[in-house]
Amino acid sequence: MTRVLRTELRRSSAGALFLVLLVAGVGLLYSAPDVWAYGWMPVAMAERQYLILLWPLALAAGAWQSRREQRSNVAELFASTSRPLPQRVAPTLAVMAVAAASGYLVVAATTVPWIAHSARYLPTAVFAVVAVGALSLVAAAWLGMAIGRLVPSPATAPVVAVAGIAVLLILTPPVLGGRTWLAAMLSPTRGIGLFSDFRTVSGRVSAAQALWLAGVAVTGTVLLAAGKRLTRVAALIPLLLGAGAALAVIPQGSAYVDSPIDRVAQQLVCAEGSPRVCVSRAHAGLLDVVTPRAREALRLLARLPDPPTSAVEDVNTFLDEHVQPYRADTVMFRIEIGGDGRLLNPDSFAMRMLYAGGMSEAPCPDGLDPAVSIAVAHWLMGEEPPAAAAEPDADIHSVWAGLHALPEQAAIDRVAAVRKAALACGDLAEALAGGTA
Amino acid sequence: MRWLTLYLRSRQAPLALILAAGCVALLWALWSAFSDDRDVDVPMVILTVLLTVATLTATLGGPDDALERTGSLPWLPRRAAHVLVAFAVVVLLVLVTQATGARFGPAWLVVRDAAGLSGLTALGAATVGVARSWFPPIAWTLASITVALPDKTWADVATWQVQPPGNRPAAITAGVLAAGGLLVYAVLGPTRRAPAEAAQ
Repeated sequence: MTRVLRTELRRSSAGALFLVLLVAGVGLLYSAPDVWAYGWMPVAMAERQYLILLWPLALAAGAWQSRREQRSNVAELFASTSRPLPQRVAPTLAVMAVAAASGYLVVAATTVPWIAHSARYLPTAVFAVVAVGALSLVAAAWLGMAIGRLVPSPATAPVVAVAGIAVLLILTPPVLGGRTWLAAMLSPTRGIGLFSDFRTVSGRVSAAQALWLAGVAVTGTVLLAAGKRLTRVAALIPLLLGAGAALAVIPQGSAYVDSPIDRVAQQLVCAEGSPRVCVSRAHAGLLDVVTPRAREALRLLARLPDPPTSAVEDVNTFLDEHVQPYRADTVMFRIEIGGDGRLLNPDSFAMRMLYAGGMSEAPCPDGLDPAVSIAVAHWLMGEEPPAAAAEPDADIHSVWAGLHALPEQAAIDRVAAVRKAALACGDLAEALAGGTA
Repeated sequence: MRWLTLYLRSRQAPLALILAAGCVALLWALWSAFSDDRDVDVPMVILTVLLTVATLTATLGGPDDALERTGSLPWLPRRAAHVLVAFAVVVLLVLVTQATGARFGPAWLVVRDAAGLSGLTALGAATVGVARSWFPPIAWTLASITVALPDKTWADVATWQVQPPGNRPAAITAGVLAAGGLLVYAVLGPTRRAPAEAAQ
């Protein structure tokens, strides 16, 4: 059997499929690494979204593979052999599945050296998301092989490729009557999204997707191995069974959560020593980079009356109710990660923490006066902001110059007032002008 | 006339034409049924052009190209004419919808993409073989529709199929592909294959 498989691997389009998936997947992933470089879950989700290209290509490769006998003028000869059809197609099915799945997995694996230095948090849901993606490509290759056998025309492969991408583009919630859960079940590119560092995919949704795709894959094999018309009609049974099982598993209607948040990823991990500095579990790999910078910011804030004593990552997202309270004794900061998996703009990290006297993350509906907020940070750092003529840099510089001209103690009082106003979502400019009043 | 009939029959041109017209008609009917907008979405227009080019791909080679080469006929102008006619058929089939309730346009985008993709297909037929020549246009176009690249000249070249009609780098890329494909296919013709592979 191994020998048959090895021969089939060389003589089928499995190798070509593997290469195409590798090139297309790697090309798409690395055309925008900042989309996924901040964690394993984003990697898994990004690759799933790129199935919009990989899936039609696998479908076309399957359809192309099925015409091999016609291309080589041996279709009639092989049909006359006494070996049953299922036995003849089994090795081809196996090598195409191996090529499709391994192509997808290898693309995912290329990100390991890229982000392993900073990505530590690896929940099991990541493996489910990747496995569903690999399964979807196996289903596509097998379905394509079945279509290629039913319609053995030179135009079949390109037509199914275009039809495949059209189906994926069309399977949107609006087309399905607003049923987001149905779109997530049917299309492997849906039900995921890269809107926050703490997104996840629920186990039930992944299970439903896997059941549906398994139904599609089995239907493909039955269609391919079926010699009789009746068996071909029976191929609909696994498709319906898969759909039924998936419908039973997936949470429907309002029970379906469109953007689930991973609470474990949001939990705080703190650095040893004091003052206390904590980041979310999803960003735990950056704790060593963040801690000295956060402690520097806390040291500069210690000059103020009643200074903050800890610095904590802000894990609240717009997808979520606010789970973390804003307190006077804590400086909140956001962690942004660049396309190389490292902290984005590490040199200005402490400066950004000092915006509005360490209160820039306060949940104010109208935001905070940016010029005052940034000027205060520059004064605390003891750095002159760039003196540009254009807005908003000119504003920042004039506010900073005003603070710089004051005696030390008076300036400290004004910065403390700005900090207090930011916590209460008040007017920063007024607080700055009024001093301690 | 008799030569032309035999040539078209050997290239399975009637079937390819029916397929191409059928694909355009199907997409036209789908848009007419499901949308109230008279102008068809640009991605769908691009996919329609791509599909029409792909269905005509098989006509670039005959059942036995090696035998065909032995005929002492001036093949170069005939091959060039074949590619040009295929391009004209694609443009005509897609742009005929301009007169109807679901317009596949803008016209310049259709002409540019049809020219570039026909050229790419012809180039494929002359290098990797007719049977495989559907792949480069399909993979490149689907990738262009999917990928999001920065707003740079090289990105306009890399995703020329999806650029707006006025984009110069995209037009130049399509022109180079069209001219290159036409020239290479007219001079070289479809690749020679082993006799066992002769029927595609």
